[in-house]
Amino acid sequence: MTEEVSKVDKVVEIPMTVEIPVGPQHPAVHEPILIKVYAEGEYVVKAEAYTGYNHRGIEKLAEKKSFYQDIFLCGRVCGICNAVHADCYVRALEHILDKEPPPRAKYLRTLVMELERLHSHMLILAVTAEIVGFDTLFMHMMRDRELIMKAKEIVTGNRVLADYIMVGGVRRDLNTEKIDKLKKILAKVEPRIRHYWRVFEEDVTLNKRLVDVGRLTPAQVTSHGLLGPVARASGIATDSRYHDAYDAYAEVPFRIVTRREGDCMARSLVRFEEMQVSLEICRYILNHLPGGEAVPDERRLPRRFPEGEAFTTVEAPRGELTYYVMSKGGVNPYRVKIRTPSYNNVINTVPFYVGHTIADVPAILASYDPCISCMERVTVIDSRRGIRRKVSMRDLARGEA
Amino acid sequence: MAKVPLLKEVVKLIFSKPATIQYPREETPVEPDARGRQYADLSKCIGCSLCMIECPPKAIRMEKIPEGYEVPKRNARKIYPVVDYFKCIYCYRCVTVCPTKAYVVTNEYRLASDAPVNSRELSLSTLKKAGQEPSQGKEGVNRR
Repeated sequence: MTEEVSKVDKVVEIPMTVEIPVGPQHPAVHEPILIKVYAEGEYVVKAEAYTGYNHRGIEKLAEKKSFYQDIFLCGRVCGICNAVHADCYVRALEHILDKEPPPRAKYLRTLVMELERLHSHMLILAVTAEIVGFDTLFMHMMRDRELIMKAKEIVTGNRVLADYIMVGGVRRDLNTEKIDKLKKILAKVEPRIRHYWRVFEEDVTLNKRLVDVGRLTPAQVTSHGLLGPVARASGIATDSRYHDAYDAYAEVPFRIVTRREGDCMARSLVRFEEMQVSLEICRYILNHLPGGEAVPDERRLPRRFPEGEAFTTVEAPRGELTYYVMSKGGVNPYRVKIRTPSYNNVINTVPFYVGHTIADVPAILASYDPCISCMERVTVIDSRRGIRRKVSMRDLARGEA
Repeated sequence: MAKVPLLKEVVKLIFSKPATIQYPREETPVEPDARGRQYADLSKCIGCSLCMIECPPKAIRMEKIPEGYEVPKRNARKIYPVVDYFKCIYCYRCVTVCPTKAYVVTNEYRLASDAPVNSRELSLSTLKKAGQEPSQGKEGVNRR
């Protein structure tokens, strides 16, 4: 017996790895993405992201439609941040036309974008609560989010798709009656947000599930190009509202919210504080709305565009969103390139699931605030051979397209 | 410590009204100027087709005005826009580009139906039939 044991000079441990697909139907948020997680017992040893379930070919479609039709198309890239997409695209068109919107229009655009940030953050915080098993909080937050949707309806005429921003201004103006209504709504929303903020900070369930989960260091954030609240929660003060100072952000006072912890809880709390800042911005705009015209006559806008190109950025609720628009003259754009923050934040963070438990994967994914419909737009066309095929972002990233 | 804000909330909610709106029985509160169903007022329309050209989802088709209607002289080609409400995205681009401001806007959002829904009847109701008054005015359709 002892002889046999002494013969064994090396013990090889064979890992029992189980492959667990998370998604593609509703892994965390109600959008399709597949994250394949390889687990040993409870712990993740490897993760892969598979995307391409929501591809619609919007960038290619944008080349076929006119500059003005694309405003509404770009608004439909993402339902949650539609005014942000439209604003970014319209500002690119204004650069090409060398046109400056009036100050009142700039303030109104900022107001709508801040309302959007409010309801977007409320949505993802509610979903975070739902994922960790706190469904009641989800219901309560979604109910109060409806107040902000109402505010958006008052300003733009629709609770979700704003279609509010037009070259040279906005498409509707505010009167004093509407401003009073909006102020009342903001006064109602503020204590609710403070209440939920306190719940997130103090609740035992949420703290156990979110604190020290999915921690990202500032070095990881910068090396993987993460954006928005994800970067700000790790202490990287990146905010194109501040760096770019587009629309009315040069005149409206606000601050960049950062935290140092870098975990899921920090990302949630950064969003809460940003909502507070957004409320302050909204209130400032409603009190300091400049006079003058804001609505351009759409019948007098130039139909043909001169040659030119423009590259614009905005701070979407999820991070920095960029548009590149190229015009070769005429009525259609030659190229519209959209780069959304969710793509960086979801795909580039896949290695960081390793070491966490499987139950933490949806919670971490939700804390990145993924917007899948933003990510997938690319079609590759081989004009020489006349082949047209759709390629997922993953294949593009691997250089297989 | 952590239970206090939520407990207060729970007690408050037990005695408050439910937030759910019983939709078909109760009306959903909509702003009076929300973007709902829109249609062309044919007494103003000149048949220029600009709304059809500019429509982002191509939901508008120009059709011939049927016989028996008194068509204004300005509409020389006797055509009018028909909006397919299933294709329409309610961006109101047609309303804003119309050179004669012919579109009538309403906040009617209840458009679910089995059969195709379009603006044909609404638009034609703004025109006089030979020897008759128009059956439905602009204001008649607006709910609020």
